[in-house]
Amino acid sequence: MEMLNFIFDAASIAPGDFTGFTFFIGSVSMLAATVWFLMQHGQVDKKFKDSMLVAALITGIAAVHYFYMREQWVLDGSSPTELRYIDWILTVPLMVVEFALLTGVGMRKLFWASVVMLVAGYFGESGVTGMLDAQTWGAISGLAYFWMAYEVGCLSIFGGPSGAVGNALASGSGKIPEAGRMLQWFVLVGWAIYPIGYMAGTDGWYTFVAIDEGAMNIIYNVGDAINKIGFGMAVWYAAKS
Amino acid sequence: MNVVVKSKLAGLILAFSIIFFGLESSYSILLFLVVMLSIGIPHGSVDHIIAFINPEARKFDSKLIFYVVYLSLIVFNIILWVISPFLGLLVFLIISCYHFGETQVIGYNTTDNKILNFVIGANILLSLFLNNIVELQEILYILPQFASLDLSAFDSVFFLLVSVAILMLSIVNFEIKRKVPLYAEITILYMVFFHTDLLTSFALYFGFCHSLPMLMLEFKEFKTDSFMKFYFKTLPFTILSIIFGFLLYQFNNDLLTSDNLILFVFIIISSLTLPHVFIMKDFVKDK
Repeated sequence: MEMLNFIFDAASIAPGDFTGFTFFIGSVSMLAATVWFLMQHGQVDKKFKDSMLVAALITGIAAVHYFYMREQWVLDGSSPTELRYIDWILTVPLMVVEFALLTGVGMRKLFWASVVMLVAGYFGESGVTGMLDAQTWGAISGLAYFWMAYEVGCLSIFGGPSGAVGNALASGSGKIPEAGRMLQWFVLVGWAIYPIGYMAGTDGWYTFVAIDEGAMNIIYNVGDAINKIGFGMAVWYAAKS
Repeated sequence: MNVVVKSKLAGLILAFSIIFFGLESSYSILLFLVVMLSIGIPHGSVDHIIAFINPEARKFDSKLIFYVVYLSLIVFNIILWVISPFLGLLVFLIISCYHFGETQVIGYNTTDNKILNFVIGANILLSLFLNNIVELQEILYILPQFASLDLSAFDSVFFLLVSVAILMLSIVNFEIKRKVPLYAEITILYMVFFHTDLLTSFALYFGFCHSLPMLMLEFKEFKTDSFMKFYFKTLPFTILSIIFGFLLYQFNNDLLTSDNLILFVFIIISSLTLPHVFIMKDFVKDK
């Protein structure tokens, strides 16, 4: 019954609860995207099959967690930070993997960068280590993010230098360079919502960017949907050629 | 779609159903028992045939020698648990890491790289335990080193993060033919481990990512007309294993079971696993 409720129970979201509605839209759109990517998996060339499967996994995992997040939000109105982290821990490496699948290079560096980004981000937000403050952990996490952005060629959008993955994307066959450019924009702009959320949600001198919890969740939900589904769509764009 | 993928897909559908429909934890023991009795134990119940059917298999001069060696390993394992539960657990973990990893890499890499097999299996078990660490602590309270661990400062996200980070670093540092699909599959496993309790997690993993794929590969190897005919061949030793477990439970000493049935079941599993690992090691060589 819970699953049926999950699909049909949008009415249980209180009238005017726009945040709750974006959780619902998030879960349904991720589920729809998963079905779409799985359907496309059979249509694309063999070399892109793993990419499509990973795209489906990213949205599938997110759909499961958005289902939980929506439930938590509707039940007690609390921000589902823990569930978001679980989702990100599982899906961010998979998004990074898409670059390696498209180019065949850079998996080692990108995995290392994402491990540092996630671990430092978590240490900063949870304070579990008792060492360093949130800003320092945030800075470490941010550095790893910029390293990753450089590696995948985000700076090349503005004519700047690029890492091996970015170079491989640019010299790829078919529509890979175009898809690569879309992915670079996702990393540069789309992923920027995560450090903003980190800063807004962490005590310290970041409080100057403090935003209302509901609004923050809306930003996350919309950003997550664009990033995850968009990422998969960019890969599909390369694959369908 | 090959039999291994089909088996894992069946497990995935069951796992998602459990997560979405929210199976009560009181049913997890039932799920565990059903999976163990219908898939888990049967997949090792044809070892006596597998040992002789495969040309690559370990050579036993006769069935008698096979049974003596096989049963001796079981007895050795039980004695080990009685003498030192810590050593018993350690041996179980080491052989399980290798065995689980070896079957997990099928379809993604050859099983030749022993260290990779061990590391992948260790990752899976580590995640299974880390993501259910409080429950595990309750089960393994007989180990003083484990019971006194204070984990209250850490939340569940921390353990998930640790397991994913270790997995990522393990995957990138090994030569694996199909690195990304292997990583992706294990990621799904981790999500299931996180959202289900220990017994359900173990039942889903052991049943559908390990035992069922192996059972299907054994079925292919046997070349019997139907799956049911093959499955009937697993029944004698499955029933014997259950009787063995039941008798052991009846004649237990305090150390073996005390009031901890789950631990007792783990001891039985580890005893059945030890000899099975050696047979399977040869069986999966060319898979």
